[in-house]
Amino acid sequence: MTQNLDLTDIQGNIIKAYGAYNYQKARYLFLRIDKGDKGRKFVGAITTKVTSAVPWEKSSKDTDSAVKPQATTNIAFTFAGLKALELPMASLRGFPEDFIMGMAKRKDILGDDGPSDPQNWDNIWKEEVHAWISINGQSIDAVIKRYDWVLEQIKASDGGVTLLTGHRGENGEDDLPYQDASVLYDATGTPTPKEHFGYTDGIGDPVFEGQINVSARVLGRGKLTREGNWEPLATGEFLLGHVDEAMEYPQTAPAPWLLALNGTYMVYRKLHENIGTFNRFLEEQSKHFPGSKEMLAAKFAGRWRDNGAPIVNAPDDESKERWDKQYAEADEAGRKKMLTDFTYNQDITGAKCPYSAHIRRINPRGSLEYGVKDAYDTPGALVNRRRILRRGLPYGEVKDATRDDGNHGIIFMALNVDIQRQFEFIQQQWINYANDFKEGNDKEVLLGNHDANNPGKVVLQVEPGSGKPPHFVSKIPRLVETRGGDYFFIPSITALKLIAAGMVDPT
Amino acid sequence: MSNIAGKAYAMNVITPIRWYMVWINRLIFKIALNRPSTLKGLITLSLIHYARWVIIPRNAFPRLDENQPKEDLNYAYMLFFSNFNGSWDQYVDSFTFAIPAGLDLFWKWNVRYPKSVPLTPFHDYIRHNQIDTAHYYNAYPMAASNDVKSAKKVKKALIDFNAVSSDKAPDDFLKDYNKLLNDLQLQLGEMKPTPIVSLSSYEVKKRYEQTQTH
Ligand code: HEM
Repeated sequence: MTQNLDLTDIQGNIIKAYGAYNYQKARYLFLRIDKGDKGRKFVGAITTKVTSAVPWEKSSKDTDSAVKPQATTNIAFTFAGLKALELPMASLRGFPEDFIMGMAKRKDILGDDGPSDPQNWDNIWKEEVHAWISINGQSIDAVIKRYDWVLEQIKASDGGVTLLTGHRGENGEDDLPYQDASVLYDATGTPTPKEHFGYTDGIGDPVFEGQINVSARVLGRGKLTREGNWEPLATGEFLLGHVDEAMEYPQTAPAPWLLALNGTYMVYRKLHENIGTFNRFLEEQSKHFPGSKEMLAAKFAGRWRDNGAPIVNAPDDESKERWDKQYAEADEAGRKKMLTDFTYNQDITGAKCPYSAHIRRINPRGSLEYGVKDAYDTPGALVNRRRILRRGLPYGEVKDATRDDGNHGIIFMALNVDIQRQFEFIQQQWINYANDFKEGNDKEVLLGNHDANNPGKVVLQVEPGSGKPPHFVSKIPRLVETRGGDYFFIPSITALKLIAAGMVDPT
Repeated sequence: MSNIAGKAYAMNVITPIRWYMVWINRLIFKIALNRPSTLKGLITLSLIHYARWVIIPRNAFPRLDENQPKEDLNYAYMLFFSNFNGSWDQYVDSFTFAIPAGLDLFWKWNVRYPKSVPLTPFHDYIRHNQIDTAHYYNAYPMAASNDVKSAKKVKKALIDFNAVSSDKAPDDFLKDYNKLLNDLQLQLGEMKPTPIVSLSSYEVKKRYEQTQTH
């Protein structure tokens, strides 16, 4: 079943990863709604500039598309925010438990302990956050211009809403009124798809029904069929009001229908990267690793740092050279295919891409059948309901690569219709635990909430029957720490107008 | 009361079957047991510790004691008893997506069984017929069935290794040891306490522990 999405109604950040459209800069604002009526008026004002998912024009004759703006704007709310906007109780009670509780209260589910505990988060998270506004810009000037416009609307709300402060910044500040994010640049000032550990990011994002140009993008990004083909996932995995993989409408939708339709939930997480520890750890571990340091780094993530080559198809230094050569000779479509079109089914022992690798843990593709022919209804049975859209960007700057205490990491945003079933499941069962991978409690190397007093290990599998021992990566330190975040509802543009007009009526 | 103990969740579901349909279910069970391929999905699912289906005839519903009056039942019943790793939702989700046809086959003749997909009616059916666990003891709270399976392999391999290799010269010993590690490379996960899969059950546990320390 193919359906056309109403792109004029869907907020643009759901469908587009702006970073991939040359929006190199972003600024995230968090607000408190102090007065219902003035708050709703403010939402109405912001809605006039909210960016929809309509494709941007390629030529001026293209009438179905919009002009690509210098800056985009999107808005979302926490449960407390929707309450402050005075949504009727009959609507509020239809939201799911995870969203109602918010991220900090879910810390035991998420493993946000020790340095990731909410008490160590940026100050802003010590207050009740109600709304999130994002600005993505093609330049920092465009971001600032739109930011100034938002400030004017806040002022015009006349005490209706307050911009919250308390973000940590570059120079030791802890009271900034916004969180900036930016793509990273190489030495020549050219934008790159890198994050601070040096990995190439932003390659794989799920493809679902109703998106544009699905057939060109679905390879390795949709769901795997029994025949070994890729098909787009059901729309209802990512947008409320559409049929999901269980052939029903997502149960996480509030009433009325128009409030939910074309909306979704967003997980916002500020993830600090311990750069010094990562570099020392990689250096130390690679001393007794039978392969290069880069190969070891690739084993952690499942992709090589320099160009994102999937390690399952380039498992060692030698095969990587061959892969690179082939990649250099491939055309645009061929390159995309090389980056995304793979499974782990030829690697059931993990000898190429270890079970602990970030991308294998987070999207095992068909491999949870463990090579048992036709074990499940479909090879992706345990995976297709655990997918998330990623919409993040790096933040901060690494000024001293030997230290952890700067302000650098990833603003991670995951979009899904069911936070508990999709994002939280991945975080809890696949990152911080490994029963599904038959690896007991071994946590994923990069993201696991490793305990300094009782550090964990992972096993990097080798070719079975080779007589060679697997490689043990032990004493893994905490490489990524949570610095804040919450769960948000991203309404459709229709729903924003209803909220702004105070016309949400679930009867 | 909690359905969770350590890494295991205990689920009891008891569903009525029209007594004259029981023979079909017995036949289905028999075929399933004789043709292992019908159960391979179930066996491959990492989160399942144990699963069993039992038919209780209309006139054989167990009583605790001779003195407990016999009930006059209209239906026979199917008892589904399962221990699994993770939360109720995680389990029911994985179960339905992995083996929808198998579930439909086993429950097909049960009264008002809705089919396993779409999910919500199936959820409701299971929850409606589930009997919560009043008392649940788990001797190995840190072990999931995968951990037990791995531990058994490691134990056997180590005993064999000790018998064959313990007296070998260093070089040969090393070779054997490396081979041992290679053979066991998929069995070496560490066993630690369970992640918190259900906040409600975690609260129950915390409150219980409080009563123990007073
Ligand atoms: C600082 C933290 C993180 C770093 C450095 C990081 C890094 C990466 C890298 C390098 C890739 C490979 C590029 C790609 O396939 O697009 C990737 C992919 C991915 N990451 Fe992360 N990541 C982080 C946090 C997270 C978190 C918290 C989640 C979810 C809970 C997540 C989910 C994913 C997913 C779903 C993919 C795509 C996997 C696939 O479809 O094959 N990441 N990440």
